[in-house]
Amino acid sequence: MANEVEDTLKRIQSHKGVVGIIVVNSEGIPIKSTLDNTTTVQYAGLISSLSDKARSVVRDLDPSNDLTFLRIRSKKHEIMVAPDKEFILMVIQNPTD
Amino acid sequence: MPPTITKKISQQKVPARKAQVRNIEGTETSDFDEWRKAKQLMKPKDQLELPEAELKEILARVLVTTNPQKPDSLVEFSYKEGKFIDVPLPSNLVVAYRIKGAQIHIDTEDAIHQLIEMGYDPDEYRAQAREGIEEEVIEEAVPEEVEEVKEEEVPAEESVKTEVEEEEEEAPPPPKEAEEEEHGEGEDEDVDVDAKSVAEAPKGRKKKLTNQFNFCERASLTYNLPVRSQEIQTIPPPRANFSALVLQWVIYDAYQKDFEAQELEKELEKERREKEKAVVVSRPKVVRKKPGKTQISEAVKMRIAEGWKVLERMINQNTFYDIAKDYRYWEDPADEFREEEGTLLPLWKFTYDKVRKNTVTDIEWNPYYYDLFAVTFGYLDFVKPIKDGAICVYTLKNPSYPDYICMTHCAAMCITTHETFPYMMAVGLIDGNVMVYNIQQTCKEPAYRSNNVTNKHKGIVWQVRWAPDLPDGELNFFSIASDGRINNWVLMQNELAATTVFMLYLPMDPVTGPDGTYMKMRGSACCVAFHPKDPLIYLVGTETGSIYECSTAYSSMYLFVYEAHHMPVYRIDFNKYNSDIFASCSADWRIKIWEHRRNEPLFVFDVGSSVGGVKWAPYSSTVFAAVTTIGKVFVFDINVNKYKSICEQAVVSKKRNKLTRLAFNHNLPILIVGDDKGCVTTLKLSPNLRIMCKPPKKQQHLDQFTLQCMKLEKLLALVREPVTLTPPPDTAGTED
Repeated sequence: MANEVEDTLKRIQSHKGVVGIIVVNSEGIPIKSTLDNTTTVQYAGLISSLSDKARSVVRDLDPSNDLTFLRIRSKKHEIMVAPDKEFILMVIQNPTD
Repeated sequence: MPPTITKKISQQKVPARKAQVRNIEGTETSDFDEWRKAKQLMKPKDQLELPEAELKEILARVLVTTNPQKPDSLVEFSYKEGKFIDVPLPSNLVVAYRIKGAQIHIDTEDAIHQLIEMGYDPDEYRAQAREGIEEEVIEEAVPEEVEEVKEEEVPAEESVKTEVEEEEEEAPPPPKEAEEEEHGEGEDEDVDVDAKSVAEAPKGRKKKLTNQFNFCERASLTYNLPVRSQEIQTIPPPRANFSALVLQWVIYDAYQKDFEAQELEKELEKERREKEKAVVVSRPKVVRKKPGKTQISEAVKMRIAEGWKVLERMINQNTFYDIAKDYRYWEDPADEFREEEGTLLPLWKFTYDKVRKNTVTDIEWNPYYYDLFAVTFGYLDFVKPIKDGAICVYTLKNPSYPDYICMTHCAAMCITTHETFPYMMAVGLIDGNVMVYNIQQTCKEPAYRSNNVTNKHKGIVWQVRWAPDLPDGELNFFSIASDGRINNWVLMQNELAATTVFMLYLPMDPVTGPDGTYMKMRGSACCVAFHPKDPLIYLVGTETGSIYECSTAYSSMYLFVYEAHHMPVYRIDFNKYNSDIFASCSADWRIKIWEHRRNEPLFVFDVGSSVGGVKWAPYSSTVFAAVTTIGKVFVFDINVNKYKSICEQAVVSKKRNKLTRLAFNHNLPILIVGDDKGCVTTLKLSPNLRIMCKPPKKQQHLDQFTLQCMKLEKLLALVREPVTLTPPPDTAGTED
């Protein structure tokens, strides 16, 4: 299982257009990143609070519902977020590359 | 201090009873001590401190008999006399305390009566009493509790106590010193009394008096304990500020948690009860895994893997955004102006580095997930063998990498996916083995594997097909191989059990072998197709070009033989709408459409090169597609054109690549084709290739299925040769 995850990670990393990958644990601390320190911390902090808020929105509309994924499309990038209780996975891609 | 003294006495006299006495007196002592202590504490701070001399100074006090409060000269108005008159002075007597005595004089009538009643001789008793030092008093109406004690074993002790008590009661709050003195005397007296009562003891117990007039009531005044108040201040409890936002889902979650906890409680209770039962029945203990920390982390790992998987698909979606859009929305507008012709739009290409050299030997869409398909990688060019093979399961959502990869030890040649268990995949290999993978469990190891030595085919396994499950639910599949055998494999508990269902033979006389033996010539199977409606019937294509119709019920004879092709038959496919119609393709460049039990084909199409695969379209009864070795895909619609394909398109480079297999998606207008470089290409069928039937004006209610069947039937009626071909006799006169 761990191997599979590692392989997937490598593939994603080498995929064209992928700018970076960040894994954040439940406390909001980045535990894995391919970006530099300041960017990572910034992404981790902002995205985790955003995903919390987004989850709150989804749950408040229907408590039995839940947030599964979050895609943020910007002019330059697309940030794809897989939020979970224990972790948050983030991929930043430049789709126009 | 009376209690202590009494204690002393008892200690001197009867040390053995010490404990008992202490019990009686102890409480009083402590009460008094406490009281005294409290008194000391209550001493006001501003009390005058007197020097020793002043303290010792004797202050004389005189007691007089006059009452200072007594009014002096009282007068009263007398109406009778009309003036004030003196009122006689009240007396000096003040009654402070009055008690009725319980003692009777020994000489009175009552005493004599009582003595007689008690069984004494009054005279004798009186004489004895006079003799004695002490004046005799008959005691009676002693408090009950004391009497009880008396009755038991301590008459002497008791009497001492009563004496003391009586004295105390008679002078309620006497000054301390006086009390002490009195007790000093009392001590002496007590000794005597004791001695006397001991002497009297043998006389027997006193009878209880019934005379109600001798009843005596005593009252006593206890000390008034001073009121004390004490205050204590405790440390204030710690305080903290807490604030939270309560949303609907927070409440929902809390309830959910509570509900789960309750369920767990119930479960535990049940388990406990079962355990109790189990002790009686003593059945084997079932070890249940507890959801420990390791399992939780396992679940998290699963979620992480799942998360990455979806993210990878998202990235791919972004990367192949144009293709995804084409796949969804592109309908070739040129089709409107072309008649009877269509095009194929190439979409994604699926490749995997490890099998770049292998040939795609089989392709199959998953029967359950519309976007999933399985591909086997082996080789067909037997001049250039490749050591290993693989099975890859791709999804359209991730064109860059297979979802599941099962590496096999040699080239994989065919695959079939179970309909109800879409994760069970049976695979045939080039070395004659068959395997079953459960890709849900693991891709590394097959769940079942045929025995490498005894239980396998002795040739290349060309095709495998799942059969309907056995009555007792066991999965089973058929495999055909170039050794001419058709085996049925049943998935037992932990092994594959094979039964040879059919052994192909050539319909010719046995050839003579050495030493005059005869050998029956074996056939060599290339492909198989099971009848969609009758699971017993199947068609086998052979290397010699014949197609045999067989039944799993008979293993010795063919039901029908089609002399179909001149070269090996590569694939046979039944029509999706009419199960009497099937197509076959062969290395002899031809595609033929057959009808059940008809010797001659209905249609024959020559495509100019070896045809690797042919498939009927699922959406139309008259459309089928084929792939050829020169890299072309042909799409036919026999309703539109009976002689030519309506689409002929080179998908891969003619020089380098050959196309081997193809498959139609069940619900999307998509075709996948595999080539000999391990690449699978997705093609979108243009609108002209998938023309649906329009219901005629008078029969608008008919559904598509019926219309498709009708369309095919109409076409077949045209093609079928009349039943009788004998020309009618020429009646024209030839007489001359």
